[in-house]
Amino acid sequence: MTRLLVPLLLLAAALCAIVLADRPMPRADLTLNNGQDPTTLDPSQVSWTSDLRVSRLLFEGLVANDVFDPGYGIAPAAAERWEISADGREYRFFLREEARWSNGEPVRAGDFVYAWRRAILPDTAADYFTFFEYIEGVGAFFDWRLGALDAFARDSAEMAPATRAQAARDLWAETERRFGAGVGLEVVSDRELVVRLTHPVPFFLDLCAFPAFFPVYEPLVGQYDRLDPDTGRVISGAGWTKPPRLVSNGPFALTVWRFKRDMRFEVNPWYWDRDSLDVRTIEITSIADPSAQVLAYQTGAVDYLVDVNAPYRREMVAQKNAYYREHQAEHQRLVGEGWDAFEIDRRLPPDPRGLVHITPAFGTYLWNFNCSPAMPDGRPNPLADARVRRALALMIDKRAIAEQVRGLGEPVARTIVPPGSLAGYDSPEGLPCLSDCRTETEREALIGRARALLAEAGYPDPAGLPTIELEFNKDSGHDLAAQSIAKNWQETLGIPTRLVQKELTVFRDDLKTHNFITSRASWYGDYPDPLTFLEINRTGDGNNDRAFSNPAFDSMLDASYIQTDPAERLAGLARAERLLVEEELPFVPLVHYVNVSMFDAARLSGPNPHPRSIQDLSLFDILGDGIGSDEVKRVAREEHR
Amino acid sequence: MLSLILRRLIQLPVIVWVIYTLTLILAWAVPGNPLENPEGRRPPPEVAAAMKAQYNLDSFPRFYLSYLDSATGLRWARETLSGEGARRAEAARGAGLAPPARPVFDLGPSLKHRDERVASILAGALPVSVSLGLLAIIIAVALGVTAGVVGAVRPNSFADLATLVVALVGISLPSFVIGTLLLLVFGVWLKLLPVGGWGSPVKMVLPALTLSLPFAAYIARLTRMGMIEHLGSDYVRTARAKGVGELAVLFRHALKNAFLPVLSYLGPATALAMTGSFVVERVFNVPGLGQHFINAVQNKDLFLIIGVVLVFSTMLVLLNLAVDVLYRWVDPRIE
Repeated sequence: MTRLLVPLLLLAAALCAIVLADRPMPRADLTLNNGQDPTTLDPSQVSWTSDLRVSRLLFEGLVANDVFDPGYGIAPAAAERWEISADGREYRFFLREEARWSNGEPVRAGDFVYAWRRAILPDTAADYFTFFEYIEGVGAFFDWRLGALDAFARDSAEMAPATRAQAARDLWAETERRFGAGVGLEVVSDRELVVRLTHPVPFFLDLCAFPAFFPVYEPLVGQYDRLDPDTGRVISGAGWTKPPRLVSNGPFALTVWRFKRDMRFEVNPWYWDRDSLDVRTIEITSIADPSAQVLAYQTGAVDYLVDVNAPYRREMVAQKNAYYREHQAEHQRLVGEGWDAFEIDRRLPPDPRGLVHITPAFGTYLWNFNCSPAMPDGRPNPLADARVRRALALMIDKRAIAEQVRGLGEPVARTIVPPGSLAGYDSPEGLPCLSDCRTETEREALIGRARALLAEAGYPDPAGLPTIELEFNKDSGHDLAAQSIAKNWQETLGIPTRLVQKELTVFRDDLKTHNFITSRASWYGDYPDPLTFLEINRTGDGNNDRAFSNPAFDSMLDASYIQTDPAERLAGLARAERLLVEEELPFVPLVHYVNVSMFDAARLSGPNPHPRSIQDLSLFDILGDGIGSDEVKRVAREEHR
Repeated sequence: MLSLILRRLIQLPVIVWVIYTLTLILAWAVPGNPLENPEGRRPPPEVAAAMKAQYNLDSFPRFYLSYLDSATGLRWARETLSGEGARRAEAARGAGLAPPARPVFDLGPSLKHRDERVASILAGALPVSVSLGLLAIIIAVALGVTAGVVGAVRPNSFADLATLVVALVGISLPSFVIGTLLLLVFGVWLKLLPVGGWGSPVKMVLPALTLSLPFAAYIARLTRMGMIEHLGSDYVRTARAKGVGELAVLFRHALKNAFLPVLSYLGPATALAMTGSFVVERVFNVPGLGQHFINAVQNKDLFLIIGVVLVFSTMLVLLNLAVDVLYRWVDPRIE
């Protein structure tokens, strides 16, 4: 019998040892959930919004977005000032003397060039490479290096190992020389950086505020670079972003990162503006399950949820709206006074329903039309004709999708750029849809208009169209949206339809190879300019899943790069968008997304309700905790109105 | 005994190598690009191709060999012999920084979480899964054996029926139902236990209990069957005839033998409890290995898939070996 107990005792002893080795940390000033874990903290590699938020906490670019400015203006950051040449093609940045890395070393102009070179080299390039193509010489340099690496791979196979290693080093020396001579980046001194662009880019400062343009500390990151003698490539190793190794220049420094558990940040003692920070420690917990995230908020384990995704969030949104209705007069008055959405919640009577916040997001839910001349099976594609696309776009009940399928109170979309998100940009009108018809006569007229368009395109009987497939991946309710649209098309025009559900990766491959007829899509803007939404429709663009091509549209985009008058430029882009959403319809805009977050506005200040939704976590403040100013930050009122 | 252990340990690398090859072939065939953000901007095709080349994802043989090269420690040995490793460490110290970590067996980076080495992901998650699995097995043995003995002492009594029903529920109800139920009752309504997370013993209770129930149910049935069989056997009758006390008969005679099938079940069960806790990990937000396994396959994260599969298979081999050794030790009749 004793022998039987031994294995159990051994198990118990092992268990105790593991549990004792793992001690919890004290609670941070601010605890939040970031939606999902960052995939990387390497600024040149970031891609997900969760990465971007953490990046802004750890690193600081030349400039930053002022998130409490109604126009999301540009504020100085690592650069204290800058000069732009008269032709708009040369930017001269002057770095502040106090800008420091978290180990006390000064931030130098060369650190930016090193970081940007990593983002530009084919060896280490990543998702946001295209942002760097605005810099003079980048495209040519990238192509040259790519060609040189291919040639190296061909030639090196016959070389002896020692010659091969030397050849790789020679190629790298040549690469450095060409980068220095050919790319429009010039380090004038440690504190002065000149950037030359291929053409004027009105939003270049916004790009400089984007994490892909943040600097990295060369003495650290360089340690992880390795020249591979077999391929001639620089291989950039992972590991330098993990504490205690990471050296960063932003407001906070990373002290603990336990993968899929938590990240802990403390004020960077060398940060130039450290005295203005309102929390000393931040913890980002890693809770993957959407319901568990809400539960964690409700039990007080976290102070802020960036993204509420629980299956019951429709009900939460409905309750929030019911709460507003209960205090309608008060709510209307506060809106009239021009307070921002979070400040209004702060001033309304406290209620658990008020903890959910619905703010516009800088993104649009779309339905793609494949514009290729042939369908995937080789037959002629009826959707290659813009009139067919326009007819189908008219026959969608977008309000049903907004209210019944999604249920988050998202506004119905007629354009791809969310109206009101960009200062000075007047969105085009866009096409009406089924849900805009208030009477049966209006509805009949709209159906008649769609039928006429189809007849013009050679389909007097819409039932004679080939079966229109609606392709989607199974998550996020796309199946319901597809059903709703298919039903609209069948009922109004009698078009044969078929639903095609794919697994996400297969779905993505189908989009890339244009192997679909119609499909669900979404697009989020990256920088505050209509181009961030329009460029994806340019002929041959890497994200032009629709295979849409219209030379007139392309040249309208080109013209925006030459036009120096800002108002005229935006008007030109609005004409380009009008062409897309009123005539060509490579996609139908369905709804503009909203962001659902959760926090107690009376207790937490710092989140901003701006339509472009960049959350700068370093501005957060737990009100009344005695740390920092404890003063509410809000969007300036008179301009907000 | 020693030759058995040696033989199994020599077989281990061969088994692991075969599993690596098969896993890589299967994982390579999964559609999709692991470096792509499924909801975001796609880089231009030439950049996407360059990104794949950064991780040798453009060529199966190159990936296969380079993984073997770094995972077996060959690259480490080469860099050490050539002085490359020492040079790097020296350069780092010159800049006043900690030198880069240089593991002997490098399992590569994660393709989804590119700042993480697979080895450090495993090192962080393995203790969590192991301790959760161990606690679950301990609870399962305690619950299962007790229920089994109770049932066997009075077969077809109310107590036996009750344990049978509980065991049936434990086996048939999926753990996301049991887990959510326990979470609601103990976490949300009674507020006795935390609703999730990791880092203190009290947070282990609910996930371990959820995980243990199916095992407890199976152990209960095994124990009950074994006990009924042995209680009716000749040597028990002899013991009783000699006037041995009922408790001693139960525990020293019958249970000792009835426990052997449970013991042989414990090997795979422990491996399963340590590796198969994905659902429980998700419901209770436990940072264990199971989630990495599922997520890695979904993301086509080749390095992580291989890493997790290798750890799981090594654990299975070693746990089976441990059970075989224990079995012989408990019951010396077995050759």
